[in-house]
Amino acid sequence: MMIEKSSGWKEEFARRLNEGGPWDDWTLYKMAYDVVKDQLITDFSGLQAPKFLTNIQFLDHQIDAARTVIEKMNGKAILADEVGLGKTIEAGLILKEYILRGLVKKALILVPASLLTQWVDELNGKFSIPAIGCRKKNVPFEQYDFVVMSMDMAKRSPYREKIYEQDYDMIIIDEAHKLKNNKTQTYQFVQGLKKKFCLLLTATPIQNNIFEIFYLVSLLKPGHLGNIESFQAYFRKGKNGLQEDEYLKELVNQVMIRNRRQDTGIEWVGRHVETIPIQLTEEEQEVYGMIEHLKERINLYSNSFVMTTLLKEMCSSKEAAYLTLIKLKEKVQSREEREYIDEIIEKMSQLDVNSKAEKTYEIIQKAKEKVIIFTEYRATQLYLQWYLYQKGIKSVLFNGKFSKNKRDWMRKLFQDYADVLIATESGGEGINLQFCHHVINFDLPWNPMKIEQRIGRVHRFGQQSDVYIYNLAIQNTIEDRIIDLLTNKIDVFEKIVGDLDDILTNKVEERIYNSPNFVSNFHFEDYGLEDQLGFT
Amino acid sequence: MLAEQIHDYLRTFFSVTDCEILEDTPNHLTVQLTSDIDKRIMNRPFYWQFVESTKAQPNPLKVTFITKRPENQEIRGEYIHYGSTRMHQIFQATKDLGSFVQLYENEEGASLFPWIGANFKVSYHTDQTKEMLFSLGINLIHGSVKSNFQDLLIGLKLTNELPRNAYCLPYIVSPMRAIERLETAIENYIANDDMTWADEAKKRWEREQEILDHFYVGVEEKPEIYEIEKKALEERFQPRIKIEIVSGGLFYLK
Repeated sequence: MMIEKSSGWKEEFARRLNEGGPWDDWTLYKMAYDVVKDQLITDFSGLQAPKFLTNIQFLDHQIDAARTVIEKMNGKAILADEVGLGKTIEAGLILKEYILRGLVKKALILVPASLLTQWVDELNGKFSIPAIGCRKKNVPFEQYDFVVMSMDMAKRSPYREKIYEQDYDMIIIDEAHKLKNNKTQTYQFVQGLKKKFCLLLTATPIQNNIFEIFYLVSLLKPGHLGNIESFQAYFRKGKNGLQEDEYLKELVNQVMIRNRRQDTGIEWVGRHVETIPIQLTEEEQEVYGMIEHLKERINLYSNSFVMTTLLKEMCSSKEAAYLTLIKLKEKVQSREEREYIDEIIEKMSQLDVNSKAEKTYEIIQKAKEKVIIFTEYRATQLYLQWYLYQKGIKSVLFNGKFSKNKRDWMRKLFQDYADVLIATESGGEGINLQFCHHVINFDLPWNPMKIEQRIGRVHRFGQQSDVYIYNLAIQNTIEDRIIDLLTNKIDVFEKIVGDLDDILTNKVEERIYNSPNFVSNFHFEDYGLEDQLGFT
Repeated sequence: MLAEQIHDYLRTFFSVTDCEILEDTPNHLTVQLTSDIDKRIMNRPFYWQFVESTKAQPNPLKVTFITKRPENQEIRGEYIHYGSTRMHQIFQATKDLGSFVQLYENEEGASLFPWIGANFKVSYHTDQTKEMLFSLGINLIHGSVKSNFQDLLIGLKLTNELPRNAYCLPYIVSPMRAIERLETAIENYIANDDMTWADEAKKRWEREQEILDHFYVGVEEKPEIYEIEKKALEERFQPRIKIEIVSGGLFYLK
């Protein structure tokens, strides 16, 4: 057993005895003794930090999460609380605890660029951790003990190399679901970091398929789940690949903490989800049909993903599809192909009705309150703003690329002036809009977790009234497929990770279409969606 | 610590360190710092370097510490609470300024026995930590050791100056030798203490190493990542004990 005796005090005492002083004050001697006594970590378990953080009101689930991570998971964990439950607080608490115990002297926090300032402010303001944000090129971050940096910056040279040279005791990664693919530069960068303690924060640990969880877990516990080949084999065998889910679920729970809103003992408002079917006009249907036939009429590289994208864009707005069609025209070889595309563009420009937009207008009218609309496409965003303006409705736009100031300003405009906020996907990060409780998903993403994140903007701590979600889906189009796929993915998530609040409809079994087009008849390869596979 | 306790602490600290207290209300404390205290707690090393190199007149800060934010007023100053960095610096300054004492029991004409008192912080470290504080005293005439020495001292009237007509008995055990005896006492205590914590930590370590190795079964040339992880495990789990004297002194008691 290593016993370390420090001799600093003895040497200094001997010196002072020799020289007859100087001697300290008795009062200060007493006070110093009390300070040391007060700061002692008296037990192997339990947290010290809350004692020092009297300015924060910790919720029970946050304290429990921190204790579990420190006492049972040895400081390496996936924090996967639902959106709005305070993962940042949990991470800060864990970091502070380790600092107080002298186990962490240097830490690196990797976050999306849009959240950098928020993290620096929280660590300094709430936890008294002297963190600096590293945005610009020439910050000598190696001189600081607590560094917050954007992941995009950290994984590139020369930062990457400098980071590897440092000796960080703890790594915290926010929005860690971006590490789901082990072939990316980001993943390999993180894999190469020494992880004495490590926290991965994400509200959505599985987005598309269960192999993502393998890669996340492997960052914390290399080998915990065997290697990727045996893992895949294990889950591919048998028709019902998810039969072994109990085992996997248990393993996942050993490294992951997931608190749900309902577990926190706080009163949460209700969530009402409706999927609203939309019928295209004849003219719209015609254009859609022509785009569907592009696959046969155009001779391009076999990647049919472009076709799928076009169909999805067409379901959003003709403005969204237009640009893609123009780009496609530049790529094709023959005159016939170009003419066919021109025909589509011609027919498209004659459309004067967007059925989805009309339905949106109906919903806004009925709601009589503020509404947020999420769309995947910038072009649709602009179109909707124009369309609503014609109807006398004021709206503000919201994009992820806005600076913090601009985002705050837009939020204020929405709160005080406009009735509608139209946001693109990346606008989903980092804004809290508890004063609004209607959300329209104008376009549905492939990934149910994105919907959960969108809803999380309003369904969070501080929301006073029930929340209404409207998912728009056009009948007899690719949006059918998306709904089916989403339902399946939610199913997988719930089996492996745990329950989710309603994302699609309040009744999970309900399919809005009576068509026999179930997922099992859906050929993913036709649509370039091979990566959506991952199980069965 | 509550706001009032912080306030009391600060008031005592600044009084004892000769920093003039200019304002003292239930909400705040305004203090004129001395150069020494300014250097210790205000974290402006560049300013003091400047003063030193230009031999300028030092201008220590006058600071307002807000211990309790008032509801309606606005006070200009620095909000200070138990976990704030400034408080941490003040605690550190307290420790630095209260580590070495030579004190006499204040009684006229008494015969005073020399004692060495030392406060030991013992830490048990692995992936978890436990700390203990032991206050021991040893009589330098007959060599007997007393525990909970600090509790005994608090009950006495002690002073920095030799009281009038008091007589200090010369020591038989030298102070440094006495300290060594106290260290031995601590080491004996540790030797007899329950070390289950270390065994349990080793078990956790073995399990984690097993999992790590499992992944690399059959891999001849283990990649660098493996070595990095292995080293990290060792750093984290290796049980170690630290003994540190945090404060102590020479005491002349009845």
